[in-house]
Amino acid sequence: MGVSPQLIEGMSKMNDTDRLRQNRLVFYREDIEQILVLLRELMTLSGAKCALLIDKEGHLVTREGAANGFDSDSLSALVAGSFAATKEMARLLGEAEFSVMFHQGQRDNIQLTLVGDRTILTVIFDDQTQLGMIRLYTQECVKKLQDVFDRSAGREAPDLELGGDFEDTGRASLDDLFK
Amino acid sequence: MVQLNLALREINCKIVYFGCGLGGKTTNLEVVHQKADQDSRGELTSIATESDRTLFFDFMPLDLGEVSGMKVKFQLYTVPGQVYYNSTRKLVLRGADAVIFIADSQRSKMEENIESLENLAECLVEQGRSLEEMPHVIQYNKRDLEDIYTVDEMNAQLNKFGAPFFEGVASSGEGVTETLKKAAAMLLERVKAMSTESATKPDVKAHRNAAAVRTPMEHRRAKTDQERLQGGLSSHRTTGAQEVVPNSSKTPLGAVSFDTDLRSQSPTAPSPIAPTSTKVSQAVKPSLRQPRSSAPMSSGAPQPMMVVSGGRRAKQRAPFPTVAVLSTFAVCAAGAAAWVFLLS
Repeated sequence: MGVSPQLIEGMSKMNDTDRLRQNRLVFYREDIEQILVLLRELMTLSGAKCALLIDKEGHLVTREGAANGFDSDSLSALVAGSFAATKEMARLLGEAEFSVMFHQGQRDNIQLTLVGDRTILTVIFDDQTQLGMIRLYTQECVKKLQDVFDRSAGREAPDLELGGDFEDTGRASLDDLFK
Repeated sequence: MVQLNLALREINCKIVYFGCGLGGKTTNLEVVHQKADQDSRGELTSIATESDRTLFFDFMPLDLGEVSGMKVKFQLYTVPGQVYYNSTRKLVLRGADAVIFIADSQRSKMEENIESLENLAECLVEQGRSLEEMPHVIQYNKRDLEDIYTVDEMNAQLNKFGAPFFEGVASSGEGVTETLKKAAAMLLERVKAMSTESATKPDVKAHRNAAAVRTPMEHRRAKTDQERLQGGLSSHRTTGAQEVVPNSSKTPLGAVSFDTDLRSQSPTAPSPIAPTSTKVSQAVKPSLRQPRSSAPMSSGAPQPMMVVSGGRRAKQRAPFPTVAVLSTFAVCAAGAAAWVFLLS
């Protein structure tokens, strides 16, 4: 018995949508609140200026602290790109991944630490604190963030209500964007 | 992959411009940046070579605004088109939610177009996806040039999956926004399709498993740090303050700085990392330990004041053991001198 190309196409689309649904990264309000508390604690203990949690695709999850003129979205994209490039370097050297990166500047420094498999903790600090402090408290924060993600795994997932007019409103917004 | 931030009610998506070298990907993004509403677009960031060829990627955030109660944000990337940068292309393509393939319409470029399209398909397959399933749009660029293929010929060669296509002249902005709008609309359809069923959880097992993956160096560092935390208080308390490196920004990777911190803690403090260890050192002004600017994004409660001493300021304090030793020595010396005086 043959299967129509339309049905195959439909199944194929369904599979991809399911795959995207499985792989997408969801952060719930409770998680974000807990993450913010942890970032605030990290900043207070370590003396850092700003802490950001970024996913590996370069999307900002949340931020605590002063942005001081930098664009968080651009920084997130560059952090993710930088981490991805470093992962390839690690692979060439036979490592699975480098889990910590540090960039030193004249005034500001930045440390990137992998949290689990899909997020990166980015800490920006200056000479008001020291690298050791940042490293110490970041390690603790990473463990606690991991706990937040683990706890989140057992929680009931809420429905995402987008409304029936989501696509139409979206198209209208796109038109408005390029008037 | 789409990121749903339910706390901020945000949907973040990634759209990647793909195509052969010098096909017009960066030009497309530049035009989008020029034409997009000023309040909705972010900075256009390019990681390019000296000769302005894309080295890693170009990037631009685009805020669509609120759509059915959710803020929709797009992140637009271009890949480097040159064959040499294949590994970089794969990195940028990772996690893409939609692709815009920019094809060069010139006859001399068809081979490169086909090669690039095959490369795109291969990269997606490596990531467990397929071009057929991926929302994608094709732009036939450089339609203003001579010696170009017709649209039908281009479609026959490049559009195997019947994707929407547009003619474009990116250098003059023609067809650029139409291409992006179509790709974005297809992506929104996909997001809507995803939302028809209950949101599932992120793969936090991956988080957990990956956390266990550490390099040998990380294992050693973690172990050393743990040992320092467990047994460090008594040993570090007696360490001289001259070990402190004055300029923290020049400190190499190491733990000198938190040694200083441990030293300054009270001996009764249970752990220097516990959130409750709010031992305040009088040697440091609280304001010095606060972030320079106080404009946090979140509207949470004021940060609890938690001050620890460290760095140069710790050097100014006379460590307690040193004072005690010196005092004992002075008393002994005075006693000995008194005995000598009495005996003489």
